[in-house]
Amino acid sequence: MSKIGVFVCHCGENISATVDCARVAETAGNYDGVAFSVDYKYMCSDPGQNLIKNAIKEQGLTGVVVASCSPRMHEPTFRKACAEAGLNPFMCEMANLREHCSWVHEKGEATTEKAIDLVRILVEKVKYNHSLNEIKVPVTKTALVIGGGIAGIQASLDIANTGHKVILIEKDPSIGGHMSQLSETFPTLDCSQCILTPRMVEVAQHPNITLYTYAELESLEGFIGNFKAKIRRKSKSIDEKLCTGCGLCTTKCPVKKIPSEFNEGLGKRTAIYVPFPQAVPNKPVIDRANCTYYIKGKCKVCEIVCPTGAIRFDQEDQIMEVEIGAIVIATGFTVKQPDFFPEYGYGKFPDVITGLQFERLASASGPTLGEIRRPSDGKIPEKIVFLACAGSRDPAKGIPYCSKICCMYIAKHAMLYQHKVHGGKSYVFYMDIRAGGKQYEEFVRRAIEDDGVNYVRGRVSRIYEKNGKLIVAGVDTLLNAMPVEIDADMVVLATAGVANEGAEELAQKLHVSYDPYKFFAEAHPKLKPVETNTAGIFLAGACQAPRDIPESVAMASGAAVKVAALFSKDELTREPIIAVVNRQAPPVYSSCVGCFLCVSACPYQAIEKEEIKNRNGEVIKSIAKVNPGLCQGCGTCVAFCRTKSIDIQGYTNEQMYTEVMALLNEY
Amino acid sequence: MVDLIKRTKELLETSEVKVVIGYEQGSGNKTRALFVEKPEDADKLIFDSRCVQNLAAYVTKKEIKEKGKMAITATLPVMRSIIQLASEFQVNDSNLLVLGITPESKMIEFKNLVEVEAFVHQFQIEIDDRNKEMLDRLEKMTKAERWKFWIDELTPCFKCYACRAACPMCYCSRCTVDVNQPQWIPVSSDELGNLEWHIMRAIHLTGRCIDCDACYNACPLAIPINLLTKKMLVDAKEHFGGYQPSLKGDHLMSTYKPDDKENFIQ
Ligand SMILES: Cc1cc2nc3c(=O)[nH]c(=O)nc-3n(C[C@H](O)[C@H](O)[C@H](O)COP(=O)(O)OP(=O)(O)OC[C@H]3O[C@@H](n4cnc5c(N)ncnc54)[C@H](O)[C@@H]3O)c2cc1C
Ligand code: SF4
Ligand code: SF4
Ligand code: SF4
Ligand code: SF4
Repeated sequence: MSKIGVFVCHCGENISATVDCARVAETAGNYDGVAFSVDYKYMCSDPGQNLIKNAIKEQGLTGVVVASCSPRMHEPTFRKACAEAGLNPFMCEMANLREHCSWVHEKGEATTEKAIDLVRILVEKVKYNHSLNEIKVPVTKTALVIGGGIAGIQASLDIANTGHKVILIEKDPSIGGHMSQLSETFPTLDCSQCILTPRMVEVAQHPNITLYTYAELESLEGFIGNFKAKIRRKSKSIDEKLCTGCGLCTTKCPVKKIPSEFNEGLGKRTAIYVPFPQAVPNKPVIDRANCTYYIKGKCKVCEIVCPTGAIRFDQEDQIMEVEIGAIVIATGFTVKQPDFFPEYGYGKFPDVITGLQFERLASASGPTLGEIRRPSDGKIPEKIVFLACAGSRDPAKGIPYCSKICCMYIAKHAMLYQHKVHGGKSYVFYMDIRAGGKQYEEFVRRAIEDDGVNYVRGRVSRIYEKNGKLIVAGVDTLLNAMPVEIDADMVVLATAGVANEGAEELAQKLHVSYDPYKFFAEAHPKLKPVETNTAGIFLAGACQAPRDIPESVAMASGAAVKVAALFSKDELTREPIIAVVNRQAPPVYSSCVGCFLCVSACPYQAIEKEEIKNRNGEVIKSIAKVNPGLCQGCGTCVAFCRTKSIDIQGYTNEQMYTEVMALLNEY
Repeated sequence: MVDLIKRTKELLETSEVKVVIGYEQGSGNKTRALFVEKPEDADKLIFDSRCVQNLAAYVTKKEIKEKGKMAITATLPVMRSIIQLASEFQVNDSNLLVLGITPESKMIEFKNLVEVEAFVHQFQIEIDDRNKEMLDRLEKMTKAERWKFWIDELTPCFKCYACRAACPMCYCSRCTVDVNQPQWIPVSSDELGNLEWHIMRAIHLTGRCIDCDACYNACPLAIPINLLTKKMLVDAKEHFGGYQPSLKGDHLMSTYKPDDKENFIQ
């Protein structure tokens, strides 16, 4: 026979102002199985909790109903109080008299009646509650960081410095990401490479970090604390142990005309190449798509010249399996190319370039050694135009959002141009100047006021060529939409920052959600910016939305703390509110018929097949089994199962039915 | 049906299968299911236009499965059922061989279920004109009229469960109506009890029912319960782009697809 205690809270006046709490307690006291019932001003206060604890001990209560606020507020408080008094915490239920009743209704008879109903439902439910134990799952204390841009680098270092192991995978031959391509960085104009390369080297040397470049995620299984990842290490065609990074091969390779990705096509590279001088690791890879040997079966010049015999033409991709406990996605972003813009010539004017290309021109390590020279004829442009919002904030182009970084880097570019080309004239066409950020507005003002950059508010409708000049035709909206035409020598488009190609596919491999623009989705836009909806998988940097370096780094450190917190314990404890497929004695084993429709219905891939075998090892029956580490207790499978073979612990069919009947039946 | 008889004999003689499921002459002008286990019994097999019972209902029965590998005489609806059952892991190539009967009454033996699926996918599930008209009529009724229609139709049901037994998709060893802890569906065959039973049945068959009409044909009272599942087919088409049983396991109701229209939650 149940012995239930009912504890009705006034919540100061939050509940008692509209609900007659004393009457609720008195009525509940008369229900079958209720051994104790009381009302009190603040149940969550110490004396309130003591009321519960004492009643459990003195009355020998088997179940508790606290009628107060939302369980989101105080369920942990009351469960803990019950546990302290020796009652299993999952024998405690909460009736929400505040959000569900007193706050939403007027004072009156009906309001009190509803409160009584809410209590009765839970009294009936708690009769069917069972003691439950928290689920413990072990944690593998190694993190996987995907993407070696500044965000991935920072996250790796921060996690590694807490003493935990990190595996960092980068799809390109070197880490560094977009930041390695930048010349100087806003808002301080310090050299990007100078601040980045020390961190890249630190990654390579850190005893807790294992770096795999030229590597991508193949597949992922498992759940928080217990993931298994397959990593594809693409063949570099060299033996990295033997290669000393002397670079002789890269100077002798006859294929010298491949557009360099690092220089955004403005420079050339060889088939065996190191993407840039400060690359980490500083060892070459053979780009098989362009190597003469792989195309024609002849050449092997690199093999002949290599002093250590490190070239391996027959090397194959390797698939590695690693066990990890947490993942940080830091795969960054990409920018739209000029061919996306019919109005700006579809990329057919060589001197209409992207912001990233300008970075390469302005960079001392770039193809022009830092001199601003136009791609077509190498002349120094006397007049240059920068276009903000190329693609961004343009719903017609499918990119309604602001790419955020462009306003700032355009100001930087114009400033760099003015510093490098004395007497040059620069123009910026913009819609609004978005310079929110520490020292950002001051930075833009410096460009305008100290460096004399001409800011024109308005959009550019067309760029065309005339007499060797690029005519930029637009309007100045501050001068009553007066048409403006500038005959420029070079045009730089601040093309929209967009998600990587393949971001969607990666999201699906990782089972994380993404937004309509294929950027990875955070779990909460304000309160969980570095979490994904999948427990144990975190986000850092521009893979979540266009971000600048300070933001990417801050996110990375945030994600690292989340990982460190997860790794601070040997086991994870989880609420046992999970689905369970019933088990029965042989020969039935379970009422489950093994249709596995629940497997496809479960949004968390939490349901597996279990084979029941006889003594000879033959399969007698295949039935569903819920993985307690993965199940989030959403209940989708319960609704789906035709045989009613699945129950959510703490919310069983029996309990739900009882609640409904308690409402429908007359008392 | 010489082909069928000859092949059945061979299959049984070589022990390639243990039992062949087909049709035989029943009482009166009726046909009934036949389970051939000995080659000499194969001569009893018949096939003609009267053979409409959905034999796929037998392939999940324990008594028949226990005999070993089965072969089944399968018309288009039977083949559809088999593909759906295979996608629910109830049959597979190692326990079932399909002796298909084409709409032109020719026999084709399929090497495997993939071939069966390819055959089935040549045809869309089409609701016949008479039933389309009925659905139209129901659609045009007011809510009250429709409610009355169903109460009138369903109240006589006495829960004999002949419909369930005839349905190949109703293979659950424990049907929701038989669950008594808690008793979600009332046992009694009254207005409420019947309504709940049939609504539940229609929901469980959505995205699974291949529209063979076996339930309707089995009902001793000729209650048009197949109209419920037919309506679900129409709705499935509207909201999820239509239903075609498939081995891929992309179940209509349990699988999210980006191109699901889902216009009911706008
Ligand atoms: C023209 C331009 C100028 C800029 N100037 C400045 C500036 O002055 N100051 C500033 O603060 N910010 C600037 N930014 C922004 C800055 O580039 C970004 O904030 C920064 O690069 C974001 O770092 P990230 O690590 O998130 O992404 P990324 O730099 O994009 O790095 C992502 C890394 O992940 C790798 N990767 C991608 N997919 C995979 C995969 N599937 N598997 C493995 N690896 C993968 C990539 O190869 C890359 O190495 C500028 C951006 C542009 C376009
Ligand atoms: S084989 Fe020849 S083409 Fe290929 S990387 Fe070596 S030197 Fe270059
Ligand atoms: S839906 Fe139900 S019957 Fe089907 S496999 Fe899952 S638990 Fe078993
Ligand atoms: S409750 Fe939700 S998460 Fe858990 S197994 Fe069922 S469908 Fe999956
Ligand atoms: S066969 Fe007819 S009478 Fe029997 S349960 Fe089905 S609908 Fe009811």
